[in-house]
Order: sequence, then structure tokens, then C-alpha cells
Amino acid sequence: MDKIYILLMAFISIVIVNNLVFTKFLGICPYLGVSGRIDMAFGMGMAVTFVVTLAGTLTWLIDHLVLMRYSLEVTRYICYILVIADAVQLVEMYLRRFFPPLYESFGIFLPLITTNCAILGLCLFINLWGIDNFAEAVVLSFGAGIGFTLAICIMAGIRENLKIADVPEPLRGAPITLITAGILTLAFMGFAGMIK
Amino acid sequence: MLKKVWLYIEQSWLLIVSSFIFGLLIAVTNTAWQPRIEQNKKDKLNNLMNVLIADAEFELAVPDVQVDLGRGKFAKSNVYKAIGPAGSCKGYCFGAEGAGFADKIELVIAVDAAFEKIEGYSVLSSNETPGFGDQIVNDFYRQQFIGAPLGKLNLEKTGDDKKIDDEIVAISGATVSSTAVVNIFNNYLEQMKAKITAEGISADGK
Amino acid sequence: MENKGPTVASVITAGLWSENPVLRLLLGMCPTLAVTTAVKPALTMGLSVIFVLICSNIVVSLMRNLLKPHLRILMFTLAIATFVTIADLYLKAFLPEMSATLGPYIPLIIVNCIIICRAEACASKCGLFISIVDALAMGVGFTVVLCILGAIRELLATGMVFDIMIMPKAFVPWAAMRMPVGAFITLGLMLGLVNLVTGKKA
Repeated sequence: MDKIYILLMAFISIVIVNNLVFTKFLGICPYLGVSGRIDMAFGMGMAVTFVVTLAGTLTWLIDHLVLMRYSLEVTRYICYILVIADAVQLVEMYLRRFFPPLYESFGIFLPLITTNCAILGLCLFINLWGIDNFAEAVVLSFGAGIGFTLAICIMAGIRENLKIADVPEPLRGAPITLITAGILTLAFMGFAGMIK
Repeated sequence: MLKKVWLYIEQSWLLIVSSFIFGLLIAVTNTAWQPRIEQNKKDKLNNLMNVLIADAEFELAVPDVQVDLGRGKFAKSNVYKAIGPAGSCKGYCFGAEGAGFADKIELVIAVDAAFEKIEGYSVLSSNETPGFGDQIVNDFYRQQFIGAPLGKLNLEKTGDDKKIDDEIVAISGATVSSTAVVNIFNNYLEQMKAKITAEGISADGK
Repeated sequence: MENKGPTVASVITAGLWSENPVLRLLLGMCPTLAVTTAVKPALTMGLSVIFVLICSNIVVSLMRNLLKPHLRILMFTLAIATFVTIADLYLKAFLPEMSATLGPYIPLIIVNCIIICRAEACASKCGLFISIVDALAMGVGFTVVLCILGAIRELLATGMVFDIMIMPKAFVPWAAMRMPVGAFITLGLMLGLVNLVTGKKA
């Protein structure tokens, strides 16, 4: 029972309380660039969720089974980025071969994802928080993807409405998106303290 | 077959060679700076502990004490013994952690040699709300712990923060963070006392 | 000098203003927002980025004629990751406090789009000298914006810049400036101001 409680708390904490976009500033570039339309945003979010779950799990395994065992921690960053790049490639090939409809819906975002800071960021944060439980690492990775999807979809919804709003000329585009995001982070701050 | 291998080598020789060079580069920098990095980590901990217990040398007394954080979570902590100039034991220091408002709070707690009084705490890392929760690093709050009896601490909303007893006055606007610190104390002190007494190194201070 | 390549002056103005990575190209947003709680971490971050940018541009520029196109990105990533590791080790060894403050944002330089973008757009086409100048200009442009942002936020959040009290005693610190919201709104307003000055239509 306790185990399930920990996993559930880890999931809620990464999705809402420690949302990567709103509290750690990760994945801002696609957040600003892509989130114009809700369906696109959702596709991007799903692609990120897919890759981040894979990458988070793999990097955790490599970290604990190889790097820490042979004290090769100094090569950690290189290993992480190579794993992520490979994971993206693998996912892309796999989807194109076996799930063409899925590939068409979010495959176009895949090459962009390698340089999405949310993914490398999550792997680094899992390492920083000292997660030593495999199940927790998996849940955190998956939750990070869901959190990113949540953030990017909320933003896309707001931006669809911003198009018809009368925004001062110089603030149109990226500036107003950033300011809106700022206000959203305030809303998300209300969730802090939920996890005891 | 050989031709294919040759083709691969021709395509990737640059990558392989530069991987070696980069690997070498990292290895060299790492060997050059690793001792310094280790030293920095030690210094940081020593400095923190020195603020809590002045004029003492610290040595590792019990490594990797397992502490139950409740809800099936466990943490490991090293216990350091503070040895005064005369060779007597001046107290113990250990790392402690617990859930804060937004993130984990990590503290260094110091207690006296007989495990009767708290000598204070320092914040190793925390991610509390700026302006509110992060006041747990301030003297106003920390001073209340110095000299407090080692037992169950209670958090009060109002009261005299100058009076040193088991009642800790919360930081206004940051009740959750204040509670978190008190909870870490209550959780760790009891377990540490039991563990260290069991190791048979407490009491006489030797 | 190369005839077709950009001139030194044009590269410098591009980096500092007309193609400023943060203000105009909107690249490298994560560190821009995350580390600008004060000037010091912003400056450290900027210098680390300059270091990595110069090193990776030198490496890429030197082997630009040997690179196979499909292995290009892998090569860039490898070089960048190596130099970031070195920068990280340096900070850990000589500036441990800064290293603790910046935490995972130093390794995140690896996926900072500025660096891979410059390697692709400039260093893989230009000679060594231009590449270095370009790295320097882009890096300085990035650092300056980071420092300005850091200074604004530090001033409003604590009333101090570089630990020197600037605001009058009666000033009540705006704690919100140290939170994520401060970063987003300050940068948003800054971008708006730049758009206003240049009269760029969004």
C-alpha cells in the first residue's frame, strides 16, 4: 500500500506541483513555438511523453547498472544525450514501420525532440533527486511527459483565444505568450504544499 | 565482406577518432580536478557543521544510518562526531531530510554529546517559496532550536520566540515550511538517538 | 579571407543585436529564464555558454570538410557534450557554490539550441577565424541579455545588485521576482520593449 502511495505522490508531484514547464523552465522552446493549435500541441505532448518515458527509464538503468557501478559518472551527460538521441531515432523508425497512422500524427515532431530540454532535464533531475527505485523513476518519467502535455495544451487553448484578443502591437507573439505563461505559473504555485 | 567493413570505417573514422580524443580530454580533466571536487564537498559539509558546533574536528562516526521517513520511504544519513580540541566529544552532526512545501528540504542537524540538547541546524538545500518558506534559513527561526531540549518539539502559531523550550514559533506566512522543519527534527532525533545509543558510542562521549 | 563568408563586423552586429539569440531568435529560453534570479548565476551561465560555444565552433570549423553529412549532428552533440562536461567539472572544482546554484542547468547547455544552431549555421560553413568571432559575438549577446535580466530581477527581488544595496531602505522586496512568474513576465516585457524599439511587426 505504501508503495502505491509513494508512486501516486510521485506522479502528482511531477505533473502538477513540480511541473517541468512551469517550475523548472524546461521545454520552453517548443512551448513557445508549437503551441498555437490544440491538436498540434496534443500531438507534440504525446510524442514527448513517449520519448521521455523511454529515455528516463533507460538513463536510470544505465546510470545504476553501468555508470555508478564502474564509477564512470563523469561521462554521465554524454551517455544521457546519446541515449536520448538514440531513443528518438528508434521511436521514429519503429513508429514508421509498425504504426503509420500514429507516425503521421506525431512523427513530424520527433526530430525536434532531441533538443527538447524537458527530456534531458528530466533525466538530470531524476539523478539529482537521487531516485533509487526503478518503479519511481518510470512513474516520474511518464508523469513528466503528461505534465508537459498538460502545460502545452493549456497554453495552446489560451493562445487560440489570444488571437482574437486586442493585444498591444509590440507584445504580440512571443512576449504575450511569456507573460501568460508567467500568470499560469502563479496558478500552478497554488498546488505547492499538496504533497505532504 | 571486407569491403563493407572498410566502407563503415571510411564513413565513421572521424567519429571514432574524435570520440577517443574527447574521452581522453574528459579523463584528463577529471583526474586533474576530481580531488578538488571531493575536497569542496567535504569543506562545505565541514563549514556547515562548524557553524553549528564551533572549534571541533569532525570525523565519520556511523556511516549510512537508515532512517524511516514514514510511508515506506527511507533515507540514509551519515553521523559525524564533533571532537573538541581537548579530544572530548562535543556533539554529533547528521544530515536530515523531509518533504517541504514544494520540494525536499535537506538539513544538517547538530546535537550535544549526551543527546539532551539540540545545537542547531543549517539548511543544506531547500526549494521553498521565496520570501515565505525560504525564511527557514533565517536566524529568527533557527535560533529557536539552539539549546532546545531533545524531545518532541511542538509548533506554535504565536508565542515568545526568544524563550528556548520545546515550543517553536512558526514563521508567519510559512506554516507548512515551519512544520516541515519541526517534523524533520521530531522524526530524526528519536530514530538517531535510538540508533546511536544502540551503536554504543553515545553517553560517555568516547 | 573568404570572399563569400560574412565579414567580421556583420557577424558581430548579428550576434549582439540583429540576430541576438535570446531577443530575436528566441533560442535558449530555459537557461535564460531559470538562472536569472540574480546577476552572478546569470554571468556564470553566460560565460559557460561562451566557453562551450567557442570550443564547439572551433572543433566543428576545423573538421567541416571531413564531416559526413549524416553523422554531422551526432558529431556536434558529442563535441558539445564533452565541453559541457569539462565546464561542469571546472565549476564544481573552482566555483562550488555557483555549481550548486545552477545545478542541472549547466548540463542542460548540451540541448541549448544556440550552440547547435551556430555549429550548423556558421561553423560548418566558415573558416576558423570567423567561427571564433561568431561564437564570441553570439555568446556575448546571450550573456548580456542574461545579465540585464538577472540585474532587473535581483534588483526588484532583493533591492541589491551584486550584493550592493541600491534601493532605498523603505523598498519592500518583490518576492515574486525570484519566482518563475518574475522570469516569464520580465522576459515577456523585455521582448515587447525590443519589438517596440525596432518597430518590428509581430
